[in-house]
Amino acid sequence: MTGVTWPRWLIWAVRIVVLVLFFSAWEWAARAGHLAPVLFGRPSGIAEFLYQEIFVTGSLLVDFGYTIVATVLAFTSGSVAGILIGMLFVTRPNLEAVFGPIVLALNSMPRIALVPLFLIWFGLGIGSKVAIGFSLTFFIVLTNTVAGGRGVNPDHITIAETLGASRGQIFYKFTLPSAVPVIFNGLRLGLVFSLLGVIGGEIIASEHGLGGTLELMAASFNTDGVLGIIILLALVGVLITWGMTAIEARLLKWR
Amino acid sequence: MATHPLATDVDGAAAAGRPRPAVTGPAAHGAGSILIDRVSIEFDAARLLVVDDVSLEIKAGEFVSIVGPSGCGKTTLLNLAAGLLPAEVARGTMLVGGKPPRKGNRDIAYMLARDALSPWRTALGNAELGAEIRGVPAGERRTHARELLDRVGLKGFEDTYPKALSQGMRQRVALARTFALDSPILLMDEPFGALDAQTKLQLEDVLLGLWQQQKRTVVFITHDLSEAVSMSDRVVVMSPRPARIIADIDIPLERPRSVRALQKDPLFHRIYAEVWARLEEGLTA
Repeated sequence: MTGVTWPRWLIWAVRIVVLVLFFSAWEWAARAGHLAPVLFGRPSGIAEFLYQEIFVTGSLLVDFGYTIVATVLAFTSGSVAGILIGMLFVTRPNLEAVFGPIVLALNSMPRIALVPLFLIWFGLGIGSKVAIGFSLTFFIVLTNTVAGGRGVNPDHITIAETLGASRGQIFYKFTLPSAVPVIFNGLRLGLVFSLLGVIGGEIIASEHGLGGTLELMAASFNTDGVLGIIILLALVGVLITWGMTAIEARLLKWR
Repeated sequence: MATHPLATDVDGAAAAGRPRPAVTGPAAHGAGSILIDRVSIEFDAARLLVVDDVSLEIKAGEFVSIVGPSGCGKTTLLNLAAGLLPAEVARGTMLVGGKPPRKGNRDIAYMLARDALSPWRTALGNAELGAEIRGVPAGERRTHARELLDRVGLKGFEDTYPKALSQGMRQRVALARTFALDSPILLMDEPFGALDAQTKLQLEDVLLGLWQQQKRTVVFITHDLSEAVSMSDRVVVMSPRPARIIADIDIPLERPRSVRALQKDPLFHRIYAEVWARLEEGLTA
């Protein structure tokens, strides 16, 4: 096994050729009547839809804004709470012993089944979407924080104890830094699930947002619209992941 | 048991009911000394006697190796000295620098077989970690840590993270971290046990160089008899568990020594053979 040997430009070139071939084949199949456009859409139709809704009417941008704001709010509140409670569990094992099973039970509730309740409690607007995203992100980040905090190297603790490190020093100089990579995995996953929760909530009931628009398009058999929004969401997901990787590479350059 | 030309009197002292090692005045209990008097360690939960009635006196500035089979309880004894064990598992008296052992004793610097470096700290950051935790001001500890990295042969690697260092280099950093502390007593638990033979010889000489310059007390645990003989003033041989002292042997090799040079020295090999004979004798007795 060898690693990647192709230069960056070649990887991009091949990637673009593959995508162009895929969309061309799709376009051709739709035009030649092998794929019904009403069921499978058409790349040119999708491009036309995205161009119209983003650059001409701008309506998709407004929905996009609502979805992103809800996602960011859900992600930040969920991960801050998850990291804080997680660290509390790591440093106070008694608390974890008491609340661990309760947290497990809460996390085992199917979130999608709770959406109607969230809608009643927080309304049709952005509040219910943030609540759904939070309820997913919080538990993911919490679990990863606890796992990361547990994963501290016992040799580090031995050395720290012989040095006379205080509990605070052990936490800040050993437990926290060794937990950061695992917490980061949780954050990466948490961000994806925030977006998922928000979109899911919007599909079920909303006033604004990409999920709501998606539902509207599907109900009116606008397959190009549905696929356009899904492609937009996929692009957002890729950008988010790249962003997280870039931050991680800077923060965890010792790995 | 016949008296051996290399032997001091301690072996079997407790078992034979002979008097404890004489207390030779306050100097013996001062900073840098370790006194172990009829110490037994038993883990109640497992009803496991790990160390059985061990008496040993280590003077300030002495380099003493403790050898014995794996799992015999050498490390447990060291952990007791470092205050890492709860007091109730041990009977007898142990004085480290004249005081009972306690966790975080500033008189002690501890080193493990595994480097235990923090991967998120550079070589310099790791070398200064101990002093940092013990509250030495940043400028002072950094200067000292740089000096020590230079002494262990890592000049130019100050800003390198452990992942980019070889195992031998990482253990050099751990050595620098240990010596960057101003503790008079160094407790080393098989510090070179995980290294290949070549690297081991190099690091033994680095350690001897530092020790010969600073004359701190070293308690060096190993299962490598050659390592013990080449570096130490005294070699203490322990039995399989429960650990008892079966021989306490002075090593009359001249100082300063070079471990690498000793490999070709016939006197070294003769002493090694005699210590080996004592070890076998003790194990079969």
